[in-house]
Amino acid sequence: MIRHLFKLIWNKKKAHSLLLVEIWASFLVLFGLTSLIVYNVRNYREPLGFEYQNAWAISLKSNEDTTELAQKIEMVLQRVKAYPEVESASRMSNNFPFSQSSRNNGIDYNKKHVLADFYVTDENYAKTMVIPVVEGRWYRSADSVGKYSPVVINRKLKEELFGDEKPLGKIISERFKVTGVVNTFKSKGEFMVDKPALFELVDAKSPWNDLLMIRVKPGTDAVFEAKMVKAITTMVAGWSVEVDHLTDSRKTTHNLTLVPVIIFLIVSGFLLINVALGLFGVLNLSIAKRRGEIGLRRALGATGNGISQQFISEILVLATFALLIGLLFAMQFPLMNVFDIHAGIYLTAIAISVVVIYGIVTLCAIFPSRLAARIQPAVALHEE
Amino acid sequence: MINLTNIEKVYRTSSIETLALNNINLNIRKGEFVSIMGPSGCGKSTLLNIMGLLDEPSKGTVELDGQRVSTYRDKELARLRNEKIGFIFQSFHLINDLSVVDNVEIPLLYRSTNGKPRQTYAKEALEKVGLSNRIKHFPKQLSGGQKQRVAIARAIVGKPEIILADEPTGNLDSAMGNEIMNILQGLNDEGATIIMVTHDENMAKRTHRLIRLFDGTQVQ
Repeated sequence: MIRHLFKLIWNKKKAHSLLLVEIWASFLVLFGLTSLIVYNVRNYREPLGFEYQNAWAISLKSNEDTTELAQKIEMVLQRVKAYPEVESASRMSNNFPFSQSSRNNGIDYNKKHVLADFYVTDENYAKTMVIPVVEGRWYRSADSVGKYSPVVINRKLKEELFGDEKPLGKIISERFKVTGVVNTFKSKGEFMVDKPALFELVDAKSPWNDLLMIRVKPGTDAVFEAKMVKAITTMVAGWSVEVDHLTDSRKTTHNLTLVPVIIFLIVSGFLLINVALGLFGVLNLSIAKRRGEIGLRRALGATGNGISQQFISEILVLATFALLIGLLFAMQFPLMNVFDIHAGIYLTAIAISVVVIYGIVTLCAIFPSRLAARIQPAVALHEE
Repeated sequence: MINLTNIEKVYRTSSIETLALNNINLNIRKGEFVSIMGPSGCGKSTLLNIMGLLDEPSKGTVELDGQRVSTYRDKELARLRNEKIGFIFQSFHLINDLSVVDNVEIPLLYRSTNGKPRQTYAKEALEKVGLSNRIKHFPKQLSGGQKQRVAIARAIVGKPEIILADEPTGNLDSAMGNEIMNILQGLNDEGATIIMVTHDENMAKRTHRLIRLFDGTQVQ
């Protein structure tokens, strides 16, 4: 019967061409959407690598002040640490978690070159951000006395640079020495892909890296924030101070990821509803046009259910034709590693899209095919 | 073979009730060639549909090979239609998107005959009606007479015992009509029971028995 249906569909390919294009286009749009969703869900399921609750980022801007900046930053850091509400404080570069700023650089080891995110922090950063160190240890200020600058890398960078090799104590890019490895560090939030990252010890004498990360005790409120900001601005007159609560920054970052996905989802949803309604209409019309054939098939031995199954099978065969053409396009993404996204994401998206398309066409075919099953053969044959 | 007792068929709409058949009693014996005649709207096709298990009577019983079919479910009726009955229609009812051989194969699809034997049987049936040179053609490429011969091949491919023909020569000229009639007579000679609705007295005269209907009632 399937061969018979293939022949029937194939011989009507011109009449079905628009329907084929419609299903094919829906598949591609759905593939795009599901790739985006699978990509984000997969990222979301990977650990963030740090704790953002009760963590605040204090941006210090020296403005016109150009004297003894490093000492002043250090002074502010010590003052902030002294507050009983502050559990831990740390100094770092301005690409703090959930910020819009980023910094990256190439890392070389044994002829391998990997682009990694760079974070310049002090020795207290792991404690402040609650970053578990899975191998070795977080660097200390005392480590800076050596020839090489101490660095901590994440597991992703370790895998790309060293593979199965032990990374601890290794020299990379001829200037860094690896002291520890952390698991993941997704500074742009849960939806960020786990990228290679490197933490470098801050130079205490440098006037740069003027951002303070602090972890406050749970329940610390805006009153303390105002008090702290006032104290800082008194200490470093003319500087501007801005405090970001990481919970708020996280929401903003998430919105940047989720809003386009939701817009795409809504647009695709409308498109799929239109396609479904179109299919439904076409099938209804097709059944009205083929009443004679339905009557004939009933006369020749088809049951009502058989007729219903035939119409559902026909639309599934048609969807298969459209999906095969769609797969030719979709398979190029994993094969050509488009956007440097893991092939598994594309393959999962393809599988989901195929299932959804088959689901939609089946749903659209159920009602018209039931109508077809109820057609009285004697009446249908007489109409013809 | 086919036994109809007190058959009555009423078509009802919300406002009109039409009596299509009234107290029809009929016994068709195995191997008979019976023609049914009557003016348009007298119930000939309705009677044929009831005998072909395509329609149910409002009253009365239909027996096929001694078995009452009124209790049969859709699946069993479909199986009986497929195995015991072959249909030929005035307007041929060929599927234009399928080739001649694919059209003829359709009854065998519903008894799950495999591809190879299915094609062999279809070709044999087409050879019987003299169309073995047209198997790859599509219905639109055939003349009326050729289309009807394809329809006959489709009706006989499953080797049914009964052939129901609803005005098989109605759309054909007299030469083509005679040709089709010759084929039907040949099938009858081979043992098939044929019941044919016709308007043509000459065609009816070539059958064993003539049944006349008028306003849903059997008058002869």
